[in-house]
Amino acid sequence: MSRRYDSRTTIFSPEGRLYQVEYALEAISHAGTAIGVLANDGVVLAAEKKVTSKLLEQDSSAEKMYILNDNMICAVAGMTADAGILINNVRITAQGYLKTYNENIPCEMLVRHLCDIKQGYTQHGGLRPFGVSFIYAGYDERYGFQLYTSNPSGNYSGWKATSVGANNSSAQTLLKQDYKNDINLEEAKNLALKVLSKTMDSSSLTSEKIEFATITKNSNGNIVHRIWKPEQIDQLLHDSGLVEKDEDDEEN
Amino acid sequence: MSGYDSALSIFSPDGHVFQVEYALEAVKRGTCAIGVKGKDVVVLGAERRTTLKLQDPRVTPSKINNVDKHVLLAFAGLNADARILIDKARVEAQSHRLNLEDPVSIEYLTKYVAGVQQRYTQSGGVRPFGISTLIAGFDGNDNVPRLYQTEPSGIYSAWKAVAIGRSSKTVNEFLEKNYLQLEESDVTLDRDRTIKLTIKALLEIVQTGAKNIEISVMAPNETIQLSNDEIAAVVEQVEAEKAAEAEKKQKKK
Amino acid sequence: MDIVLGIKVSDGVVIATSKAATRGISILKDTDDKTRDLSDHNLMAFTGESGDTVQFAEYIQANIQLYNMREGHELSPYAVSHFVRNTLAKSLRSRKPYQVNALLAGYDTDKKTPSLSWIDYLGTKADLPYAAHGYAAFYTLSLLDHHYRKDMTVEDGLRLLKLCNKELNTRMPIDFKGLQVKVVNKDGVKVVDGEW
Repeated sequence: MSRRYDSRTTIFSPEGRLYQVEYALEAISHAGTAIGVLANDGVVLAAEKKVTSKLLEQDSSAEKMYILNDNMICAVAGMTADAGILINNVRITAQGYLKTYNENIPCEMLVRHLCDIKQGYTQHGGLRPFGVSFIYAGYDERYGFQLYTSNPSGNYSGWKATSVGANNSSAQTLLKQDYKNDINLEEAKNLALKVLSKTMDSSSLTSEKIEFATITKNSNGNIVHRIWKPEQIDQLLHDSGLVEKDEDDEEN
Repeated sequence: MSGYDSALSIFSPDGHVFQVEYALEAVKRGTCAIGVKGKDVVVLGAERRTTLKLQDPRVTPSKINNVDKHVLLAFAGLNADARILIDKARVEAQSHRLNLEDPVSIEYLTKYVAGVQQRYTQSGGVRPFGISTLIAGFDGNDNVPRLYQTEPSGIYSAWKAVAIGRSSKTVNEFLEKNYLQLEESDVTLDRDRTIKLTIKALLEIVQTGAKNIEISVMAPNETIQLSNDEIAAVVEQVEAEKAAEAEKKQKKK
Repeated sequence: MDIVLGIKVSDGVVIATSKAATRGISILKDTDDKTRDLSDHNLMAFTGESGDTVQFAEYIQANIQLYNMREGHELSPYAVSHFVRNTLAKSLRSRKPYQVNALLAGYDTDKKTPSLSWIDYLGTKADLPYAAHGYAAFYTLSLLDHHYRKDMTVEDGLRLLKLCNKELNTRMPIDFKGLQVKVVNKDGVKVVDGEW
C-alpha cells in the first residue's frame, strides 16, 4: 500500500509521515551500538565495532570516533560514509566560527548546524536523507560538558547518558538504572563499558570490538579530547575487570 | 500508480495538491499550540513533551520561539522543519530592521513566513514544510495585540484565539465557545483572564498538568515566559473551579 | 576631525563622541550620534568615511541582534570585537572596503568584566584601558597616560573625561559641538546627561 510513498525522494505519506526518514532510522537501529555518558568532569563515548572478517587488517584508526573541533568529538552509528560528508562540513563551520569570533563554537550551535544540513536532505534536493545518527560530546564556557544525539530527521536532543544504534532501547534501560547524577569520569567510563558489554552481540570485550573516546579538562584547565588507542582500551578493560566477565560472572 | 500524490506540486484530476494535504497531517501529529488575544496582551501556550529521566531539560526545544524582540512564533509539526523556518523569519526580521529602520509588523512577518511556506508547495524537488505556525506580537508604537496563523499551503489568517496541532479541533471548539461567551457577557480579557483561558484550553487535551505546559505572555514591549510554578498555580485554580462546578451540578440533580 | 574616545574603568566603560557632523568646511548638524547600541551590553563608536560609518555600524548591529535572537543569549564583548575586526579585515580585501574605525565598549555579564577594543579600518585590533581615534588622540592620550588608574570607577572615568574635554576645547582648531557621553556597565548602555 505504502510503496508509492517510499521509493521516491522524501515526501509526505497520506498520514503525514516521512518514510524515507523512518527507513533511515531503521537502518541505524541495526548498526553497531554507540553510547555516551556525561560526567561532571568530562564525557565518555564508547562504540561497538563490528568485525566482519578475521582477515581484515586491524589498524589503529578509529572508524566511529571523530574529532569535530578542539572542544568537541562525536561517535557515529549508521553509514560511516554519509557521516564523513557531515563531519567535513561541520569541521569547516567550526573553524569558520573560530576565525570570526576567535573562540570555539558553542556545542549546541555546532550540533544545530549539522542538523540543519540533515533537515535539508529531508526536504529538498531530490536526495535521500543522511543515514547516520551521532552522539556528540563537547565542552563550552557557557554550559560546561554536554552530550547530544541527532538522527536522520534533523532533530537533536541533549542527554546525561544515551545510546544509538542496535539494542539502544536495552542500553537506555541499563543506563537509566545505573546512571547517577554527578558521577565522575572514571565512573562514567565503567558505566559505558558495562552497558556496552551487555548490549553487544559478542560475549567478550576486546579492543578489536570496541572504540572509546573521552573529552575532559587537564590539570591546566584546558580541554583535551582523546580517541583511545587499542592498547589503552585493553588496559582500560583490564583495569575495569570486565574482561574476565565469563569466569567470574557473580562478581559483576 | 496514479502519481498525482508522489510527484510534488501537481494537481490531481479532482483538484487536490496531495503533498500539501499530507503536510497538514504532519501538523496534526505534532503537539498542540494555542494563541489567545486579550485586550492588551496576547498569550501563546503549548503542550510540552515530557523529558525523559536522562534527558537534558535545558536542550528540550521550546515550541514558542522569539523571532524578534516583539514577535513570538509557536508551531506544531516537524521540529526540524520549524527550526529552518524560524531561522528564515529571524533573518528577515533583522534584515527588515536594517533596510527599513523599523521592526517588522506582525502581519508583514506572517506574510513572509506564509510566503516561504507557499514557495515550498510550488517549487521543483521540494516537499512542503510540515508545520503550521502561530505568530503573535505587537507592532512598533502600537498597543494592539496581533495573532496570526500560517499553514503548510501558505495560507495565513488572523485570529482572536486559535489552536494548531494534535487535537486542535477539540481545542478550537472549546475556544470558540468560551471566548465568545466571555465576549458576550462583556468580560474584558485582561492579562490574568487571557492566561487562564489559554491554560484552560490546553487542559482540554493535556492530562498531565503544568509540567507539560509552556506559556509565554506578550504585552507591548515585554515578553514573559511563565515559570512552572506560575502555570501550576493557574492549573490548580482551573481545576478547583471545575470541581466546584461539578459539585453544583450534583446538587442540582 | 571627529572625536571618538573611550576609557575602561573597573566597573564599566565610558565612551565619548563629538556631536558635530561635518562635510568639507561646513558643520551640518550639532547633535550627531556616532555610536550604535549593538546589544544590551555592547556599544560601538565609530569614525571614518561618512556614509560608510553608519552603513557598517547598522550592518554589525543587525548581525549581533540576529545572533542574540538565534542563540537566546548575548554575544560576549570579546566575540563581538573579533566579529567586527574580522568583518573589516574581509572588507579591506574586497573591491570597495569600508573606511571605518571603531571603538567597541562592552560589559561581559558572565565574567563581570568591562572591555574596550580599538579597531581600525585595516582590521587592527587592540584591547586597551583607554583609546581614541583621530586627532583627539593627540590631545588626550598624554592626559590619560598621566591620570589613568586601573581601579577607577565610572565616576572617576567621567571626571577624567572632563579633563580631556577641557583640553580638546582649548586646543582643537575647530568647534566639535561638544561630546555625547555614554556609559556601558552591568546595567547596560546609558547616555550621561550634562554639559559636555
